[in-house]
Amino acid sequence: MATTQAPAVRDRFAALLDPGRVIDHPLERRLYGRDGSIAQGDCGLVVLPETTAEVVACMRLAHDLGIPVVPRGSGTGLCGGAVPLDGALVLSVARMSRILEVDPSVPCARVEPGVLNLDLSTAVRHLGLHYAPDPSSQQACSIGGNVATNAGGPHCLASGVTAQHILGMEIVLADGEVLRLGGTAPDPPGYDLRGFVVGGEGTLGVVTEITVRLSRNPPHVTTMLLDFPTVAAAGAAVGGIIGAGVIPAAMEMMDQKMVVAVEAFVRADLPVEAAALLLVEVDGTAAEVASHTAVVERVGAETGAGRVRVARDEAERALFWKARKSAFGAVARIAPNYYLHDCVVPRTRLVEILARIYEIGAELDLVIMNVFHAGDGNLHPLIAFDRRDPEQVERVHAAGTLIIEACVAVGGVLSGEHGIGLEKRDFMPLTFSATDLEAQACAREAFDPEGRMNPAKVLPIGSRCGEIVLDAGSLPEGTWL
Amino acid sequence: MGVSASNWDPSRPAPLEEDVVKCVACGLCLPHCPTFRLTGRETASPRGRIAAMRAVEEGHAVVDSSFTTMMDECLACRACEAACPSGVPFGRMIEGARAQAEPTRPVAARGIRRAGLTGVLPRPRLVMAAGWLLGIARALRLDRLAPAAHRASSPPVSLTELRRPIPRTLGEGPLARVLSGCVMDVAFRPTQRATMRVVAAAGYTASRTTPAGCCGALAMHYGQPEAARAMARARIAEMEDAEIVVANASGCSAHIRTYGELLADDPAWAARAEQVAARTRDLIELQPPPRDAGLGTVAVHDACHHLHAQGIGPRGLLAGAGAHCVDLGDGGRCCGAAGLYSVLQPEMAARLRRQKAEAVAATGAPVVAVANPGCAIQIAAGLRELGSSVRVAHPAELISPE
Repeated sequence: MATTQAPAVRDRFAALLDPGRVIDHPLERRLYGRDGSIAQGDCGLVVLPETTAEVVACMRLAHDLGIPVVPRGSGTGLCGGAVPLDGALVLSVARMSRILEVDPSVPCARVEPGVLNLDLSTAVRHLGLHYAPDPSSQQACSIGGNVATNAGGPHCLASGVTAQHILGMEIVLADGEVLRLGGTAPDPPGYDLRGFVVGGEGTLGVVTEITVRLSRNPPHVTTMLLDFPTVAAAGAAVGGIIGAGVIPAAMEMMDQKMVVAVEAFVRADLPVEAAALLLVEVDGTAAEVASHTAVVERVGAETGAGRVRVARDEAERALFWKARKSAFGAVARIAPNYYLHDCVVPRTRLVEILARIYEIGAELDLVIMNVFHAGDGNLHPLIAFDRRDPEQVERVHAAGTLIIEACVAVGGVLSGEHGIGLEKRDFMPLTFSATDLEAQACAREAFDPEGRMNPAKVLPIGSRCGEIVLDAGSLPEGTWL
Repeated sequence: MGVSASNWDPSRPAPLEEDVVKCVACGLCLPHCPTFRLTGRETASPRGRIAAMRAVEEGHAVVDSSFTTMMDECLACRACEAACPSGVPFGRMIEGARAQAEPTRPVAARGIRRAGLTGVLPRPRLVMAAGWLLGIARALRLDRLAPAAHRASSPPVSLTELRRPIPRTLGEGPLARVLSGCVMDVAFRPTQRATMRVVAAAGYTASRTTPAGCCGALAMHYGQPEAARAMARARIAEMEDAEIVVANASGCSAHIRTYGELLADDPAWAARAEQVAARTRDLIELQPPPRDAGLGTVAVHDACHHLHAQGIGPRGLLAGAGAHCVDLGDGGRCCGAAGLYSVLQPEMAARLRRQKAEAVAATGAPVVAVANPGCAIQIAAGLRELGSSVRVAHPAELISPE
């Protein structure tokens, strides 16, 4: 049953904020027990601070009371990273959504963590700038959440993931201490801890301010859709394009089932009969775009592409991207739940691993669809199911394990961009030795000695050095590990 | 944890299980939800509201005052529905959730609302009488006694206008039944006359339905489906002989288009309801012959029940009359009128009203086209609060001035 923080605890937080920004009704807390994954956690209390000072006050009080804290952005994460366990306090940064400063000369922006990814790009569009990492959820996800998961996105193929775009951060630690990391200087003094905090999944503290690098909008962009008679042919095209020396701005693949589901939503006249669809975007100067487009067309022809459909204008380009970026949500048209995996394999092994994934689906009688960042081998096999059927859930679980094992077996890793969270926590030993895990746990402990920040996430229970043993965290409803 | 029995009250309409489970909680609706944008609270978001419905559906929660607040804070603007890749039919879900919430509301408020929705609205003469009372109250400046928040949502009824007739029929050609409607007929009579002229100009014999006869949308949106069905039957009976059915308020056209669904379980009416629904056009969808009405620049407000519920807008109609249309640049965010919302949630509505009025004023256009009575009242109030002189007008009035 749901855990409640005592009314006295609620009142102490309410005294720091105002009562409207502390949520303790059981039904309302329940809504904060979830993120974009399917795990239902157990949230004890929710606070919605608006400033760093309020975050500090909340963190100090949580420290005094010994309450675990789970930071939350938009709650669009897919690995249970923002799912609270055992009545933890959820600290939502959704109301910290101001863009504090834009400096076009660097160019960079200083933002609060609750600013939505796409809102930032929209706000700087008139300066010819954008924020490059563009997860599929970019219209809804927060920059703070992007930092926590080291989020990727289609355009990270050429421009790099979140870590490559974070210049500085302000982070409030578990005891309320405020730490500033990095800044606009190219190389900060001392150890560069930014790379550790980005991807920290809320286990190190609450990031309360972020200085992000902004990127210049490319002068020319061409976006193409190529359809293929087989998934293998599409895989060959991916290898061919990169082999020809072209790193497209983005290169995304969608298989037939996915295309059918998405077409029902976007109505973009997608080729629903093709086995696989490749979305390739090239950008740069007019000459670069022309020569790269020619390479894509040539490789497409050599590998059996049916036709290359070039976006006529910005509206059609936006439609192609809407198709790609609404793919996950569109799955509900097939089944009410989906389990979305996120693993990376060497690009050269893509075709082979896709075949294995379809095989796993057939063996376990499950609908598995694929939509993913083909250019960097970041797979997103997506299993559609109905969580109301426990037997089906068992099979989904089994398929997930087989897929992860298959990816790791060909030299892949557990997560490309979604993070480890709860979902992949217990798979960590597949890629890390006990010594590796202990080293990571020690680093985490340097930030949070009591283990109160987002406990029971990322590192498997028992990884920590010393005598501190985390509460294992009774696994929330809907999770399997 | 096993699946427990649902906690819905079986005697009332409820969100359908098959709709509720469609939400995969991806969160893509969040940025499109005006109340989430204002509060940052999951409890004021579509995903949160659906999760609350699901909690009741699965027996993890009961319908209590917290549930009711979440559902009542919703504008039912359906921006989330248009943004949802999973096709979650949020509009009909929120109607079911509000029907369930009804018993948790204070008895007095329920009584007043119920009297209005099931006692007055289904009786056109009472609606018209209420209009006259409102007109008299306004003439005596009694509206000043109302709290400021309610004053902003009071319909602009005028005794002079109530005395001026609206032609019952106009024009030649195939028969078009034009919905008189409740609020429109009482408070927006110049729009009603302009509507008749536009329908006639589009090549129809325009014929009005019973004066002040309501389509039932408000009753449906506020948890009174039986009253809504009764009103639907009355309107169907007087509109089904027409080639087309025309409504000039976005909420009405959107609702009439769901008559088939509303009466699906009524064998005597299901087919007739489907037919009327299929013949329904919003006024802004008509195509009168283009003529330059010298409109100049017109700011365009998209009513939620046009943009999100029906995917239509008035730009084509206005451009045909020579208007240079400018968008408000706010992504079509709800103005906060939303049926009775501005009365029931005055604080949230006031913030949305201000945002919308600022967006209208920022266009620099002298006039804003608004094709819904609630939005028109709300935006006019917002502009007054800003001290702006921008005029609010229905597209019909703009393209066919008296």
